[in-house]
Amino acid sequence: MHNLHLLLQRLADAQIDFVVIGGYAGVLHGSSLVTNDLDICAVLTAENIAKLRQAFANLHPVHRMTHKKLSFLDVPPDDTPLKNLYLETDNGIIDVLSTVLGLGDYSRLRKHAVEIPIFGHLCSVISLPDLITAKEAIGREKDLLAVKELRAIAAKRAQS
Amino acid sequence: MQAPPSIDPAIEAATEAGFDLSLVDCNLILSPEERLLRHDAALELAQELRKAGESHYAQSTPAATTAR
Repeated sequence: MHNLHLLLQRLADAQIDFVVIGGYAGVLHGSSLVTNDLDICAVLTAENIAKLRQAFANLHPVHRMTHKKLSFLDVPPDDTPLKNLYLETDNGIIDVLSTVLGLGDYSRLRKHAVEIPIFGHLCSVISLPDLITAKEAIGREKDLLAVKELRAIAAKRAQS
Repeated sequence: MQAPPSIDPAIEAATEAGFDLSLVDCNLILSPEERLLRHDAALELAQELRKAGESHYAQSTPAATTAR
């Protein structure tokens, strides 16, 4: 069952500081493209990791890049420094990145992020110009294609 | 005689790339929450179709081998 919005809701309920990035941010800006995962940028402090564990505790979160799909509830031990998390849960895939290519870390993204009311919370979402920059920096064909739609959305928003 | 209204280059580029921008127009009318719900419904459908396809090909492979 893929309910990425429920993952987003749990993050917001858990009061974790994060910025929505990637394709799901594109959807919030109006993109018609379907994405398989929820990507966020956050500072992976011990406190935030504990909050993430609690938020997803009953969704069987596992490290999807590990061979045995180790449980995020057990691995890594507390206080282990982490740069990124690639998780699979009962409600879908969520990636937590500490930096975004072409832009920088959480504080940089947060500076230009837009606040969008979602399910009773104000969620920080990467700005449309920043999302375009990030996708151009990744440079894969699918990202560059997405950029064409995002630029059209920016043009439409400028016209309205 | 008036010149025809110019199309924004970004809109032209997206259209040429194959995007149906009427879908974007529909999305922009929706609230952010509605966009997420509609997206997740599409994702769920895509996953179900993928599973059905995998199941179909898993069942049809032995039959195809037998037919040779």
